[in-house]
Amino acid sequence: MIEASGLSVAIGVKPIVSEVSLKARAGEVTVIIGPNGSGKTTLMRALSGEIPYAGSIRMNGNEIAGTKLGQLSAMRAVLPQATSLAFPFTVREIVRLGILDGRPGGAAQSERLPELALERVDLAGYAGRFYQELSGGEQQRVQLARVLCQVWQPVEEGVPRYLLLDEPVSSLDIRHQLVIMEIAQDFARNGGGVVAILHDLNLTAMFADHVIVMSGGRLAASGARAEVLKDDILARVFQCALKVNALPGGMVPFVLPQTACSGAP
Amino acid sequence: MVSCMERGGRIFSSFHRQARTEGDRSIRARLVIAVLLLMLPVAFLFSLSAGASDASLVALLRSIFAGEALAATDTIIIYDIRLPRVAMGALVGASLALSGAVMQGLFRNPLADPGVVGVSSGAALGAVTIIVLGDTFLAPFIEPLGSYALPLAAFAGALATTATLYRLATRKGRTSVATMLLAGIAIAAMAGAFTGLLIFIADDQQLRELTFWGLGSLAGATWVKLGAIGPTVAAALCAAPFLAKGLNALALGEAVAGHLGVSVQRFKHVAIIAVAAATGAVVAVSGGIGFVGIVAPHLLRLLIGPDHRYLLPASALLGAVLLLLADTAARTVVAPAELPIGIVTAAVGAPFFLWMLLRIRGIVDL
Ligand SMILES: Nc1ncnc2c1ncn2[C@@H]1O[C@H](COP(=O)(O)OP(=O)(O)O)[C@@H](O)[C@H]1O
Ligand SMILES: [Mg+2]
Repeated sequence: MIEASGLSVAIGVKPIVSEVSLKARAGEVTVIIGPNGSGKTTLMRALSGEIPYAGSIRMNGNEIAGTKLGQLSAMRAVLPQATSLAFPFTVREIVRLGILDGRPGGAAQSERLPELALERVDLAGYAGRFYQELSGGEQQRVQLARVLCQVWQPVEEGVPRYLLLDEPVSSLDIRHQLVIMEIAQDFARNGGGVVAILHDLNLTAMFADHVIVMSGGRLAASGARAEVLKDDILARVFQCALKVNALPGGMVPFVLPQTACSGAP
Repeated sequence: MVSCMERGGRIFSSFHRQARTEGDRSIRARLVIAVLLLMLPVAFLFSLSAGASDASLVALLRSIFAGEALAATDTIIIYDIRLPRVAMGALVGASLALSGAVMQGLFRNPLADPGVVGVSSGAALGAVTIIVLGDTFLAPFIEPLGSYALPLAAFAGALATTATLYRLATRKGRTSVATMLLAGIAIAAMAGAFTGLLIFIADDQQLRELTFWGLGSLAGATWVKLGAIGPTVAAALCAAPFLAKGLNALALGEAVAGHLGVSVQRFKHVAIIAVAAATGAVVAVSGGIGFVGIVAPHLLRLLIGPDHRYLLPASALLGAVLLLLADTAARTVVAPAELPIGIVTAAVGAPFFLWMLLRIRGIVDL
C-alpha cells in the first residue's frame, strides 16, 4: 500500500499540495482526477520520491524520503506526463532502459522482456524504429513499455509493486486508451498497485477501484467511483454543470468508451 | 576515415539484418569495438614508424618480433622520442573522445565538448598560470607537486569551468543549448583574458613554450609527462563503465533517471569531476587539441547508436586511433618540420562540426 498522511509539497515558497492524506492499495487501480493545475502531477512526483515533501508517505511501510533511490526503483515505476529524449535511441533500446540490473529472472528473460512489453502495449514490430520518428501516442506507449519492464512482475517475493502513471492515455486514440487501461487493471488484478492521473471521467468510471479528487492542491473527495462521481462533487470541482448518468438532450450523437467491451479489434 | 567508417557501417548493417532482435545494436557495437581494438595497435605501430627519420616499420617489426637489433640512433628515436609521444597521443586521444562523450551525455547534447564550451580554456588558464607564475610567489606551493603541478592546475581550471557551466546552462534537469554555448563563449573569453594577461607578463623563454603548447602539440611528450597524466587518465577511463548506466538513464531526463534509481546529483558530480580530470590532464600536456571529442562520439553514434555502455569504450578507442593518425600526419606532411597537431584536428574537425550542425539542426532546438 502507498499511504500518505498530512502530505504537503511546496515548490519554492509556494504551497502546491496541502495536507493530503490518501491510501492507494495494492490490487486496486487508484485514479486521481481534478482540473488543470490542481496539483495532481506534483502529488504524484512526491509519491514517486522525486521531490521533497512534508508529512509522511509510506510505500509498503517504508517512508519514501528515507528510502534509497535504487530500492525505490525496484518497488515502483513512474510514467511521467512527458518525456524528452536526448539521443537517437531505437524503440528497443529505450524499452530496455527499464530493465534494471540484478532483477530476478536472469539475463535470458530480460533479453526477451522488451519484445514482450512492446507487444503488451500493441507495438509489436516497432523495436527497430527510431523513437524520435514515432507519433506522440506511439512514443507514449513506448515509454509505458519501458515502465512495465521495470516492474514486470506485479508482485515480487510477496511484496507488491506499483505503477505510477501521469496521464498515461492523454495522447492516445480510443482503442489504445482502453488497451492501456486494461494493462493497468491487469497489473492490479495480479496484486500490484496502480495510481493513475486521468482526465477522462468515463475511463475513470470504468477502471477506477478508488477515486481521488484534487482541487486547488487539496483533497476534494475520495472514495469508490460511485461515491465520488456525483453531480455536486464534479460540478464543484470542475466548475462545470456535469450530470452523471444523464443523456444529453437533442439529436447530438455521443459515444461512450464503455460500449466497447474490449480494446481488441 | 569517414568513408571507411561508412563502409564499415554497411557491412555491419547487413550483418545486423540477420540478427535475431530488431533494434538491438549491441552485437554491432561489440563488433565495432573489436575492430577498433584491432585498429589501435596498427595505428600505434604505424605512428611509431613514421616521421622525419627513416626508422622503418619493417625494421621496427623485425626488432619486436624477430629480435633483430635496431640501429643505435633508431633505438633512441623510437624508444625515447617516438614511443612516449605515441603513447601520449593514444592517451590524449582516448581522454579527449571520452570526455567529449561523457559531457555530451551529461548535457544531453551532441554538441557539448570541453573544447567548444570553454572547459579547455579554463584548463588552459590553470596550466598557463603554472607555466608563467611557477617561478614566482607561487613557487613554494608548486615545488612539492613536481611534475603534477601542471596537470593539477589544469584540472582545477577545468573543474571550475565545467561546474560553472552546468550551473548556468541546466535548469530543472533541462539543458538549454543556447545558454550552454553562450555561457561557454563567455567563460572561454574570460579565461582567455586572464590567460592573455599572463602571456603579457611572460618572458621570452616562457612565450616560446606557451605558443607551441597553445597550438596543441604532442612534440613535448616525455616519459615524465606521461607519468604525470597517466594516473588521471587511467582513472577517468576506469570510471567510464560506471558512468555508462547513469548517462543512459539521463538521456530520458533527470526525473526519469531518478525514477530508474540513479542518484542524479551525485552522479552529475562524479561525471563532472571525471570530465574535468581528463580534460585537465590532456590540456596540461598537449594544449588545445580540438574536435576529437565531438568527431569520435558522433561517428560512433551513427554507427552503433547512443548506448553509453558501448559508446564510451568505443569513443576512447576511436579517439586514440584518430589522434594517432592526426599526429602522424602532423609529423609527415611538412617533414622534416612538423605541424602542431591542433592545426590538423581543427582543419579536419571544424568542417565536420559544421556538417554535424547542419544534420542535427532539425532535432536540436537552439
Ligand atoms: N516546478 C514548479 N514551479 C512552480 N510552480 C509549479 C511547479 N510545478 C507545478 N507548479 C504549479 O503547481 C500547480 C499544480 O501543478 P501540477 O501539479 O502540475 O498540476 P496538474 O498536474 O494537476 O495539472 C500549478 O499551478 C503549477 O503552476
Ligand atoms: Mg499534470
